[in-house]
Amino acid sequence: MTRTPTRREVLAGAAAGGAVLGMPAILKAQAPSVKVGLLHPVTGALAYEGEQGRKGALLAIEELNAAGGIKSMGGAKLEAVLADAQSKPEVGAAEIDRLAEAGVAAVLGPFGSGIALATTQAAAKHNLAHVVDVGVVDQIVQRGLKNTFRFAPGFGRVTAQGLENLVALNTAAGNPVKTVLIVHEDGAFGSGMAKLMNERLPQFGFQILDTIGHPTPTRDFTNIALKVKQANPDLVIPSNYKNEFILMARTLRQQRVQPKAIFAVLGGAASNIRFAREYPDAAENIIDNNHWFDPTKPLSKKFAASVEKKGWDLTYELMLNYSCMRLIADAIERAASADRAKVIDALASSTFSDHIMPYGPTRFENGQNQGAQIVTTQIRNKKIEVIYPKEFASAAPLFPVPRKG
Amino acid sequence: MRHWVFGAALVAALGVVPLVTSSEFWLTFFLMALLFALLGQSWNVLGGYGGQFSFGHALFFGLGAYATGILQVRHGVPAWPAAIAAIAIAAAVGAALGALVFRYRLRGSYFALVTLAFAEVARILVASFDYTGSGFGILIALAPGAGNFQFADRRVFYWLAWALVCLGCLVALWLERSRFGARLIAIRENEAAAQALGIDPLRTKTLALALSGAIAGVAGVLYMQIFLFADSHIAFGPTMSVEALLAPIIGGLGTAFGPLLGAILLHALGELARHATGGAPGLNLVLYGVLLIVMLRFLPDGITGLARRRARG
Repeated sequence: MTRTPTRREVLAGAAAGGAVLGMPAILKAQAPSVKVGLLHPVTGALAYEGEQGRKGALLAIEELNAAGGIKSMGGAKLEAVLADAQSKPEVGAAEIDRLAEAGVAAVLGPFGSGIALATTQAAAKHNLAHVVDVGVVDQIVQRGLKNTFRFAPGFGRVTAQGLENLVALNTAAGNPVKTVLIVHEDGAFGSGMAKLMNERLPQFGFQILDTIGHPTPTRDFTNIALKVKQANPDLVIPSNYKNEFILMARTLRQQRVQPKAIFAVLGGAASNIRFAREYPDAAENIIDNNHWFDPTKPLSKKFAASVEKKGWDLTYELMLNYSCMRLIADAIERAASADRAKVIDALASSTFSDHIMPYGPTRFENGQNQGAQIVTTQIRNKKIEVIYPKEFASAAPLFPVPRKG
Repeated sequence: MRHWVFGAALVAALGVVPLVTSSEFWLTFFLMALLFALLGQSWNVLGGYGGQFSFGHALFFGLGAYATGILQVRHGVPAWPAAIAAIAIAAAVGAALGALVFRYRLRGSYFALVTLAFAEVARILVASFDYTGSGFGILIALAPGAGNFQFADRRVFYWLAWALVCLGCLVALWLERSRFGARLIAIRENEAAAQALGIDPLRTKTLALALSGAIAGVAGVLYMQIFLFADSHIAFGPTMSVEALLAPIIGGLGTAFGPLLGAILLHALGELARHATGGAPGLNLVLYGVLLIVMLRFLPDGITGLARRRARG
């Protein structure tokens, strides 16, 4: 049976289609304010990290608006346009198009390296400034994208500095650590780190007793803990993700494995305040080399107080996004415009220093902030303290860690 | 016949989208729908017409994406020949997998499990070797230019994807009319009876899997050239396998335009759910899931099935 559509049906269909296609135009017509896109993976595998990042950026916006907004633009308020990358690169890239059409002056996000590779490139097509909050993979800033700025250090810098800090701590303590055992997850991050450690550590006179790989997820670390116990290394270097890190630390504690220190580089949970609070037995004295704020700055103290008042977890995603949002606001302030090209120029020439990270004035070279660095932290009394370098330290290092009963 | 006309109208309407809107967002929206329609069509060739339900179509998608990436990055092969080689590799792996799996007469849920296992093995393998980018993945250098299969103008990708979807629909229509398609459908309906009539199930199903693999490979190549990056989870992960089967099942199994209809509808639903729920993270995915359940409950043979029922009634 065939039936031709009536005129009314055709009109209804055309109207629906027109409404759908016309929607972005409606989005554009809103009150004058400066829009900034916050693109984080707030659902999916990276939801916790993404949510933390979003909170950090929103906190900065709240404070900046309370302080009078963008003064060079007559006190224009910053307006967050929220987007969810769903922990998937192609969704992140599609969200960039949506943000560009919403008229944002810049984009901040998207935590994961894989997502960042896609979103920075998508933003480049719109000539839209994209500040990368975390994404440590070095290729993100090595593709000649003029719109891409990474405020935090990349993998190469982080690992080199982690090793330097280990040598410095060990030397200062009279070289108690001679033997090392590496436990790593067998994906890109863990394997890469393990390979690097195997190359570099012997150059500093450390002996590597064993390198133990495990998949993600791993739900039982008993065998690995027993292997570690048998090898009895001075130092355990773990490189795995949050859940495995917590499980491993707890199993080591249960099996009474007590190396002179657990020393992580970009440790999955070693810089996570919840781990420190909820599993103090396992977490106490673990050392990490990670993004962290400079706790000695006055702004950091104010930031930490606000975070505590809101009942949020103090994590590095929060710190980095808070700082990056201030960096973007400063660029818009100097550009005195939400014009995309002007914002990119302002970011490229940024010397911004009113942030909470231990970086000093910002200086971008090919999109990478040259002053960016990590610090060495240690979990002490359910708190995360900076122990190295000295100028940022909030506590003296406990290295080697004394044996418990 | 009416279903055919409707499908052609849908395809034609999609062809003019870039002329109607200059919005990058909507262009990307429809581009992604077309990409997943292509992947869905690949699944439809094997699952819809052949009745072989694969849970691991990410294998072929991933092979397309990874092969073209590795050939360009590691061996300096120009993008276009690399793309053709990647599609050939996906087809060859499809044929090899078919020859292996169908020889041992794996059907139904066993076939589904084996394909799932192969995709998972591939995912773990590519994540383990430096040659395949280990856990980091494959990143193609940004170098816009038609010779590099990278287009600064999103519309070019759009029309390319559109043309490939058209080709996919033509393949499906050919299946409905050709001898090969008739054999494949006969196997779907009753393999033992088909065999009794002199059809070689091994040969037919293997060819179908190779064809399906090639189409999924095309989708993988296209994904790689658009985003220039894929890692093991994106390319070979179970999410991609599910994406491959959702569109044809929702749109209508074993119909030429079902995957396209399903992909458009699923993407529209996803976007609608996002608008409806505002900023609350994850709520859109919950709504999406609920809508999906409702659709499966009331439309067991997909949208096309509904249209057919209405046409009959």
